[in-house]
Amino acid sequence: MKKILTLVLIALLSLSFIFAEAQEEKPSVVEKSEETSLSEIQVQKPEKIVVYAQVPEDWTFPCLWAWSKDGQNAFENWPGNQMIKDDNNPGWYYIYVPGFVDSVIVNANDGSIQTSDYAIEGKNAWITISNPETVSVSFDSLTGSTLPEYSEMYSVFAQLDPTWENPSIWAWENETGKNAFKTRPGREMKQNADGFYSMDIPVWCDSIIINANEGLVQTSDIKDIDPSSVWLIVAQDATFEVSYVDPNAVIVPDIKVYAKVPSTWDSPCIWAWSHPDGTNAFVNWPGQALEKTEDNWYVSDAPGWINSVIINGNEGSVQTSDIRIDSGKDIYITVNGPDSFELSYK
Amino acid sequence: MKRKHLTIVLFLVLATILSLSCSKQKDENSPITITIWHDKEDVVVDVIKQALEPLSPDIVVNFERKASLAETLKLVGNNPQTAPDMYLYAHDKIGVYVEMGILEPITNLVNSESIETLVPMTKTAATYKGKIYQLPIYFETLLFLYNKKYMKPEEVPSTTDELLTYVQNKTKYGHFGYIEQHSTPYYFGPWINGFGGKVIDEEGNPCLDSKETLQALAYHLKFVKYMPDETEYATVNTLFSEGKAHTTIGGPWLIPTIKKAGIDVGIANMPIINQTGKPLTPYLGVQGFQVLKTGVQNPEKKEAIIKILQILSSEEVEIKLALASGCAPAREGCYSYDSIKNDEIVMAMRNTAENAVPMPNIPEMDVMWTVTGNLLTAVNMSGKDIETSAKQAQEKALSLIENMK
Repeated sequence: MKKILTLVLIALLSLSFIFAEAQEEKPSVVEKSEETSLSEIQVQKPEKIVVYAQVPEDWTFPCLWAWSKDGQNAFENWPGNQMIKDDNNPGWYYIYVPGFVDSVIVNANDGSIQTSDYAIEGKNAWITISNPETVSVSFDSLTGSTLPEYSEMYSVFAQLDPTWENPSIWAWENETGKNAFKTRPGREMKQNADGFYSMDIPVWCDSIIINANEGLVQTSDIKDIDPSSVWLIVAQDATFEVSYVDPNAVIVPDIKVYAKVPSTWDSPCIWAWSHPDGTNAFVNWPGQALEKTEDNWYVSDAPGWINSVIINGNEGSVQTSDIRIDSGKDIYITVNGPDSFELSYK
Repeated sequence: MKRKHLTIVLFLVLATILSLSCSKQKDENSPITITIWHDKEDVVVDVIKQALEPLSPDIVVNFERKASLAETLKLVGNNPQTAPDMYLYAHDKIGVYVEMGILEPITNLVNSESIETLVPMTKTAATYKGKIYQLPIYFETLLFLYNKKYMKPEEVPSTTDELLTYVQNKTKYGHFGYIEQHSTPYYFGPWINGFGGKVIDEEGNPCLDSKETLQALAYHLKFVKYMPDETEYATVNTLFSEGKAHTTIGGPWLIPTIKKAGIDVGIANMPIINQTGKPLTPYLGVQGFQVLKTGVQNPEKKEAIIKILQILSSEEVEIKLALASGCAPAREGCYSYDSIKNDEIVMAMRNTAENAVPMPNIPEMDVMWTVTGNLLTAVNMSGKDIETSAKQAQEKALSLIENMK
């Protein structure tokens, strides 16, 4: 009897194991179908949406600040990106923003005047502004059925002779003759605090003219422009200089690296780079040779943008570990051994 | 009494058997340690470690990163106490170490299939004086890269004359139509190889003053005139990453930085040199495993190394290594896998490998880098006469090679 009972218990135990395994397999099937249904339900957000704004007359160069519910900003800095005057719909400005945008603020006059937050929740929106407090938002088009062509933009900066007033930019694609703006003199340029005027134009424009004084003065055609921020300096006689380098950009000067090394370290060198992007200052290991000075320090120049160095010797066979430094400052490193060094900036 | 004796005998036999099996157990439990030197990033080494994990605990592989591996191996390669058993490195030092007598032919340690299924050019790179000394794993070549913001795919120059016209039109206002490390020998490789010239031939004879080399130098100079004077790696990287250069010839290692900088980078075929009908032909650099003779002196270690190489010869491991390193796998079969076929960079390197020239692996090449670099500096940066400079460089190279003997 006991034997039979034992056999029965064993059989029941075995069955329960089999049953448990079968149960374990089921969730993966259930998960898969759940996954499928979730993806079916999830609404795909558009890649880009258009936001239109009609602003009061004294709102100049309107911009849009935009963000998502989870705090992701569409643009890097306030007041956001400049809106584009729609030549086909006078009085309206527009801008394309990423589809994740849920809320916007329309602002103008270098961000000094603005609306409050308005929810657009990833939809094309038409915002009519009478004053900062009187704003209406429509998700039905108020500018006709055709949306403007999307184009990436690039910035043109121009420093002008003081006699050139109220400058505008005329832009086109040289090969096709396609113009960016409907009528001359083109798009009014905005004056910035650094003395340059600026305006964004579509990346397909490779030719421009800067004009002023209601189109009475202008440069000649400036052709073959790369779709990249470009700076012009225009003289009174309409001659000009062009550069892709911002003349106001701060150039980081080279730094000096001073090192003292153990007496057994011959021909010390510096290996340097920028972390974490990994841009190296020198082509090949062991890097740049340090020159001995009279007071037993070794010295070398290095680019000011580096933030990491290794001091090494004996053709790179002995070295320190990675040493993180502040960019742009001369450094003094006393190396006692591969694992020991002292770093100072004086 | 007899029963008692029998019991004792049986006990002794049993004890002996047990102790022998324990002893064998104890020997079997001592792992074989294989040391591999390398100069690779952690991401690459991690793939190798994972692949070799099944060999544990019987075989323990010890990885040591060496910043100046090539030079250190010259110093200790003959010393079984300090030399590694294997190393993972580029193929171009093979000749130096073979002449030192420290390298074991890899064909003694892998089966023929491991060699026959390699991309042909990688097998060539691994061969020195008729013997193969490296198990190639992945390779790299320079690539023609362009910024899609400035150049549509259909606008990419198909010939070097077209590229020159493009450069002449577009290099202005601080932007460059084309840049490269113009006075670094490795980057001059596409030009000299494309003209049918060589830095050095297979027999170790420098060719810096050959007709083809002179032609390459003269034509290349036309492009150099439109580049910055100083074009070290950092400069080229920065200019292209900042959108100040439309095109460049650079390595696959540039691409992550470029993409991180937001550049929409395209890869295209190397332009064809109008004068020769050959494309700009870069050097091929092959990374693989080499085995030192000291590593195989011990039969157990040799066996362990054979097992290691067998695992590292598999297509799956080579694909993982190639993708981790950003390079192209050295085994033909890898190119049937989607992960490889769908990788634009890898396939570009595979296509380039059809025409690429393996970096010379002969010992004499060691002195040629500096001599060639000085020649390029003289011609490109100091404006010296090409023929005179090439002749001087050739004489210098011959002298240095003579001193090596």
